[in-house]
Amino acid sequence: MQEYKDLWSGILTEVELDVSRANFLTLFKRTRLVSLEGDVLTIAAPSTMIIDLLQRRFYDIIKKSADKHTKKNTKLIFVPKTIVDIVVEGKEKHGPLFDDGERTKVAVGHLPRVRADFTFENMAVSATNQLAFVSASTVAKKPGTAYNPLFIYGPVGVGKTHLMQAIANEVYNSNPENKILYTTSEEFTNEVVEAIRTNNTSNMKKKFRNLGLLIIDDIQFIAGKERVQEELFHTFNTLVDSGAQIVLSSDRPPTEMKQVEKRLISRFSGGLTVDIASPDFELRTAILLIKAKKHGVSLSIESAKLIAQKAQDARGLEGYLLKIMTSAQSGDGEITEELIASVLSLGKEEKLNSFHPDELIKNVCYFYKVKPTQLRSAKRDAFLVRPRQVAMFLLKKELGLTFVEIGNLLGGRDHTTIMHGVEKVDNMLKKSLISEDILGIPKLIVGNNVDY
Amino acid sequence: MKITFLSDNLQKKLSFLNHAVSSHGQLPILSNFLLEVKKGKLTISATDLEIGISSSIPVNVDQEGSTTVPAKNFSDLLSNVGNQKVTLFLEGNTLKLTGEKIKASFQTTPPEEFPNLYEERGEGLINIKKSLVKDFITRVVFAAAQDSSRPALSGVLLDKEKNEVLLVATDGYRLSMQKNVFKTKEELAKPLVIPSRLIRELLSINEESDDLSVFVSEKSNQILFSQGETTLVGRLIEGEYPEYQKIIPSDFNTKTEVNREDLLNAIRICTVFARETSNVIKFTIEKDKMIISANSPSVGEDMVEISAKTIGEENEMALNAKYALDLLSSLDKEDLVFEMTGPLNPGVFKIKEDNSFLHLIMPIRVQG
Repeated sequence: MQEYKDLWSGILTEVELDVSRANFLTLFKRTRLVSLEGDVLTIAAPSTMIIDLLQRRFYDIIKKSADKHTKKNTKLIFVPKTIVDIVVEGKEKHGPLFDDGERTKVAVGHLPRVRADFTFENMAVSATNQLAFVSASTVAKKPGTAYNPLFIYGPVGVGKTHLMQAIANEVYNSNPENKILYTTSEEFTNEVVEAIRTNNTSNMKKKFRNLGLLIIDDIQFIAGKERVQEELFHTFNTLVDSGAQIVLSSDRPPTEMKQVEKRLISRFSGGLTVDIASPDFELRTAILLIKAKKHGVSLSIESAKLIAQKAQDARGLEGYLLKIMTSAQSGDGEITEELIASVLSLGKEEKLNSFHPDELIKNVCYFYKVKPTQLRSAKRDAFLVRPRQVAMFLLKKELGLTFVEIGNLLGGRDHTTIMHGVEKVDNMLKKSLISEDILGIPKLIVGNNVDY
Repeated sequence: MKITFLSDNLQKKLSFLNHAVSSHGQLPILSNFLLEVKKGKLTISATDLEIGISSSIPVNVDQEGSTTVPAKNFSDLLSNVGNQKVTLFLEGNTLKLTGEKIKASFQTTPPEEFPNLYEERGEGLINIKKSLVKDFITRVVFAAAQDSSRPALSGVLLDKEKNEVLLVATDGYRLSMQKNVFKTKEELAKPLVIPSRLIRELLSINEESDDLSVFVSEKSNQILFSQGETTLVGRLIEGEYPEYQKIIPSDFNTKTEVNREDLLNAIRICTVFARETSNVIKFTIEKDKMIISANSPSVGEDMVEISAKTIGEENEMALNAKYALDLLSSLDKEDLVFEMTGPLNPGVFKIKEDNSFLHLIMPIRVQG
């Protein structure tokens, strides 16, 4: 292109000497050389009237100059074409009505409970989550046709929620009219319960069965809830029949889900089941760098590696990162390796935030020498009530779960039961009616020696 | 060249012919009219190299020929002579005009310097009565961008939806869309972007005949309109037109019915103060009324209430008064519907009981 530009401006310099200034400005200024093939010059001019004048009155002058510059006996062809030199940076700006950026932000805001920054673009991918990532992005591109349902499982903090919300965002952005619902199995349960309570199941059915994309996070919590499972089963069938996409996540594969009806499990396994393993060291480093960028701090790869050695999952990493940022801000703002080392050694004890609820329950069982199945059972023997209440208390205080979630974890107990249990242990601690040893339960290191 | 005609016949064509005369005048020939006499007709052409117009009147021919004369002098003189018999006679380089009591002579330039308006008309796209589409075009064309920095937006899009042709124009802040402009079968292979200036000139053509034919030449990227004895020619705009379908809201939270005249007057009153604050006015939509207000801290404020029939939420939106005025003065129907989803999403104007038209206006974000 540059070659043509130079050649044409050379030709024009000569033409300029032979024609009047008015002619040159009006007729030649907006012409461009499009191509030179053999001895044929193709010249673009903005209108047929201009071409007419150039051809009739200036052909010889242009040709003379062109011959001289190309050292050929040239032929000239004119085409009507406006060549715009001003290139607007990036995508052509069409004004605020067409402003994608603005719209996307607003658009994503319309999806309840879905975070706009959970997209495929800002997800770090490595061997441990690559399959899940690829399957999720395929599903997002072809909802309802690629894999239905998509079942993602893996331990806590590996990015299940990120992937699922990325699907929601992507599907929404490609077609904002798509009916999308992102929910958790707890919310789904609440909807079912509410519908049964008010004896109005038709509304709920309408809400769930007209969707284009249904995403349910932490599906394992429907364990033991028969009515909810039944409702989910029918919703599932209706949606699959109508070509809607379903995406589910869990902490274990469908086949290992307990207290879930067989027919539902077979439905869950009917599409694609992918697992995400805990992030490997390289992925943890990459996640740290992404998170650091999101928070607007610069973190060297060496520093990121140091932190990545310490934490095992994404939430733990973010916790460390925030701590390091805070300490850096109280100092001179620099994140040095010494600073990281000092924060990391302090933080050793506090890894608990990323504790999995099941592990905590395991620890409680180990402490009281009971079995988790007993803890979850409906039995109210005295030797079970105390451990159960302690478990409720710790799940609340240490992991900050909601009462309903704790109820689900402990065999589908009502949230008021949980509230009572938490309050009771709290009071007992205050009055020293119970040993403070229970506070050490989460720190116990328990192997896999407790049966499930 | 020697002809005789009634000046009346020419006068009504001079104004739109003058629109194509180059105003910059860098190239002297472009401030001239080309006069051609052939087969009982005088054809006058004008071009600024961007668009070209030519129009013919029947004349009494003594001798055929052609020449060019300065357009301004020629049309100023002729439009002031009233209706009388006029003779034009080319003698050497001078064109002599004689009327009943008038004598004039113009210096001419040889016709060879004048550019040809077009080589070929191209393929026929549609034959239609202009009066059927005139109102539709008026509803759309004003929304096109005035500057040429975004070439596609300076045009009017002619697109096909099923068998109906629709028109769209937008400058990125507002958008007008008129569906069902005319029926088409196969003629429109791909969407066309026509310079809005060309469309405006089309509206200004004053001809007795109502028959309008449109021709497109893909080879030379040219569009040509022919109405009666007048031909208007220009170039199609290359470049991607933005995906307008995407931004048309499918739903609303507030819908209100207002009278066009009421709203137009209210906005005019509010512009008194809105002028001072870059034309910002506010619509406040309540159950049975709509309040239009403007406020300029240093000058004053006002509000006008008009009756409205609202369904849905009460709502408000700030917008540029100019856009609303442009729209309301281009509409030919009185019962309008205004729909919106929220203060930051585009407001939609429609014509009541008419799904073929809609107009979007981007709101203005106001502080506080």
